Amino acid sequence: MTLERLDALSVARRAAAEIIPGSVVAVSGDWSIAVADLVREDKGVWFLRAGGTLSDLPINAADAGAILRGGNVDLSIVQAAQVDSRGSFAGYHATDYPGPQGHAGLIDLAGARRVVTVLPHNGADRAPNILDTLTLPPDGFRCVDTIITDVAVFRVADTGLTLTEVAPGWSAEDIRAITGTEVTVAPGLREMDFTVPPGKPPSKVYADGPSAIADLPDGATVFIDGFGGPGGMAHHLLVSLRDRGSRNLTIVSNTAGIARVVSFGTPPGRTAIDHSVLVENGQVAKAIASFPVSPSVSRPSEFELAYRRGEVDLELVPQGTLAERLRAGGAGIEAFYTPTGAGTLIAEGKESRVIDGREYILEHGLRADFALIRAHRADTRGNLVYRGTSRNFNAVMAPGARVTVVEVDQIVQPGELDPEAVVTPGIFVQRIVRRPDGFTGYE
Amino acid sequence: MSADKERLDRAIIAMRVARELPAGSCVNLGIGIPTLVSMFVDDESVVFYHSESGVLNCGPLAEEGEEDIDLINAGGQFLQSVPGMAYFSSVDAFAMIRGGHVDVTVLGAHQVSANGDLANWMLPERGVGNIGGAMDLAAGADKVIVAMEHNDRSGNSKVVQECDFPLTGRGCVSLVVTDVAVMEPTPDGMVLREAAPGWTPAEVQEVTDARLIIPDNVAEYEV
Amino acid sequence: MASSKLYDSAAAAVADIHDSATVLLGGVSGTNAPTALVSALADRQVRGLTCVCDSTYYGAEVLHRLVAAGCVSRIISPAPFGSGQGDMVHELWRSGDLAIEVVPWGTLAERMRSAGAGIGGVFLPVGIGTRFAEGKEIREVNGVECVFEPPLRGDFALIRANRADSVGNLVYEGAQRGWNSAVVSAARIAIAEVDHVVEPGDIDPEQVITPGIFVNRIARASSAPIG
Repeated sequence: MTLERLDALSVARRAAAEIIPGSVVAVSGDWSIAVADLVREDKGVWFLRAGGTLSDLPINAADAGAILRGGNVDLSIVQAAQVDSRGSFAGYHATDYPGPQGHAGLIDLAGARRVVTVLPHNGADRAPNILDTLTLPPDGFRCVDTIITDVAVFRVADTGLTLTEVAPGWSAEDIRAITGTEVTVAPGLREMDFTVPPGKPPSKVYADGPSAIADLPDGATVFIDGFGGPGGMAHHLLVSLRDRGSRNLTIVSNTAGIARVVSFGTPPGRTAIDHSVLVENGQVAKAIASFPVSPSVSRPSEFELAYRRGEVDLELVPQGTLAERLRAGGAGIEAFYTPTGAGTLIAEGKESRVIDGREYILEHGLRADFALIRAHRADTRGNLVYRGTSRNFNAVMAPGARVTVVEVDQIVQPGELDPEAVVTPGIFVQRIVRRPDGFTGYE
Repeated sequence: MSADKERLDRAIIAMRVARELPAGSCVNLGIGIPTLVSMFVDDESVVFYHSESGVLNCGPLAEEGEEDIDLINAGGQFLQSVPGMAYFSSVDAFAMIRGGHVDVTVLGAHQVSANGDLANWMLPERGVGNIGGAMDLAAGADKVIVAMEHNDRSGNSKVVQECDFPLTGRGCVSLVVTDVAVMEPTPDGMVLREAAPGWTPAEVQEVTDARLIIPDNVAEYEV
Repeated sequence: MASSKLYDSAAAAVADIHDSATVLLGGVSGTNAPTALVSALADRQVRGLTCVCDSTYYGAEVLHRLVAAGCVSRIISPAPFGSGQGDMVHELWRSGDLAIEVVPWGTLAERMRSAGAGIGGVFLPVGIGTRFAEGKEIREVNGVECVFEPPLRGDFALIRANRADSVGNLVYEGAQRGWNSAVVSAARIAIAEVDHVVEPGDIDPEQVITPGIFVNRIARASSAPIG
């Protein structure tokens, strides 16, 4: 008797079960693209496509690459031609194109946090597609953690493949017989299931600032936006962080708090809320900033006073380098060369390199545990729009933090923001807080 | 004593700089005298202003009572909303600067050296300073013009043979416009191009630390 | 406000693209591409172009128009070949008349971003263990194995957008944004083909995707089919 193999739709259904509500998924190849159609909209999943869309949002191709490299894609589902026992794979198109390099469409997808391959277990000639060693050039190197075929499911570890599920009617021995590498059978071997589980993503909307940062720990690195003045600064979150009292913080920000000593239209008798509320509360150990002190020597900021007392460290960074380091951290760029600061104090201790006759210095990406940012409006998916020049570092900081918390004037339902106008896609925003009614940037 | 001679005021410096902005160019103005330059650019020139606060094609300063905290320039001053603006993030703002898309930047300075080194971010006696966007502008703009007073309050020349303040960029300045002269840093040294009305080249040299190269045809400062 | 950026025709906008130029092409797989500009360029019979593009397959008649006209000597793309027999790019490559460089798309987009942003190159954790890391500088940075990727600069970028105002601010429509907005900043001269030209102020400054600083020339799209 010949055992039945699954059709492409059943494989896609099984792959769809790997998708967690609210997660970000990249797909390539007909078998995997079919997966997107099987996931209910209320599951809140984001599908990234290389051409430049993130679900309903149009995005720039460089941003799409950045999203993949930057650790913001939870799962890639790729259709493969071959997979080996260590999790390297060759893409479904590996034999379709000539030349030593062929086609590079899947290379970026291999950078997702998890890679799942879908493929026919055997080729047209019954030759196994799961092997000790690939015979085709790899598109991903030791990155696959789960293999779903038309007869079985395997988990991949450094020690090799473990068979965890089989198609209806198939036994472990049947699978072994058609697989080109050694297979360990999981103790709880099951039959494959083709129901796509429903589910909804957890809400991103928090009641207030304190609840949104309740787990911000001592010793955290925190991105704090604010170009300098009151626009674009998350005042309610700053005050919430002061009240929470987390200590020994490294803050990364354009200034280290100058709004209090430079009047950007502060009403008479009031004090502007800025980073000073954290500094004077003894919470800041270090600032990474481009404009850390008051422009006026005679009106020193809280940070400058603490710096002179030796209570805080300072890493001074040119403003464009700060922006670029923030982008790099969120875009999976470990390091980059910039001409800014070459031949100055900023270059000391850094590698320099002459490229096309010009001197550059090496700078590294910055990542954070938390980002506290400010936007004008959010939808409940976390998509953001800003107002005017208050966009500045907010949009740059959002992708590079483990937890990005945004303070907005207004929270709206999905669909109420024009997808063409969304500046920060919701995949970069974990928590949303509405600025309390009547709250201002002044105390 | 030439040190006591009458000098040009800040507005005249800004007017002189305005003549250096080609029609249709994209310009970034720093804080201080540079900010004044836009007042003297005629409308026919269609100069486009870039601010690293995240706005392009921005307009003049806002009228009192019309200030919007979400529309500022890099110095934190409030701007008017004008047709044709574009907003963008800080990373795009500096991509424009480093990527060579900003044609001219006008900056203030503490010191400029004979070969065009720029020092404008830290006074050594303070021990700490703000870099802001200055290093990126120095490295990225096609043309860097310095607009400043020729001497500091104590009379020290800010046009020096070599900078002893911490540098912002090396060899980046292409023109220096002061209240006394217009000068061009070159690999061979600082060339005096124009002297303020009533000033002889020798008098300019007297208030200048850098050894000036004085060609035969030093013009009168024209505005 | 007068604009010197607006050109009378696609032909006028591409009139100075010279032999051996590097031309960055917007659009994905031939859709959302600057068809009028590319047609005008093909008509000019320039030679030896290096074309950088997303892909040449799925009926990418835009690039094929240039290749068929004999304008192209090199293609840099993540997916340069059409699949199957009779693909023109494939045939020319086999006969040695066309050089091909394959670059992963995220890396290609980032290399162009570096060029546009004045970055001297980036260390990316992409392609390690594959043919795309061979021959490149490999370095461990922050404990991550990375390849060095240099900037990729164009002499010209030809892109398609939905609307421009006369100072060059652009907005796109849907997936049109993808490669068009990625290549526009990386060329010395960026030329945008648009469906509508509007006055400054007609585009909300919050919605501008490509600020006019990156755009040198604007031409209206033609509705005529390509070929």
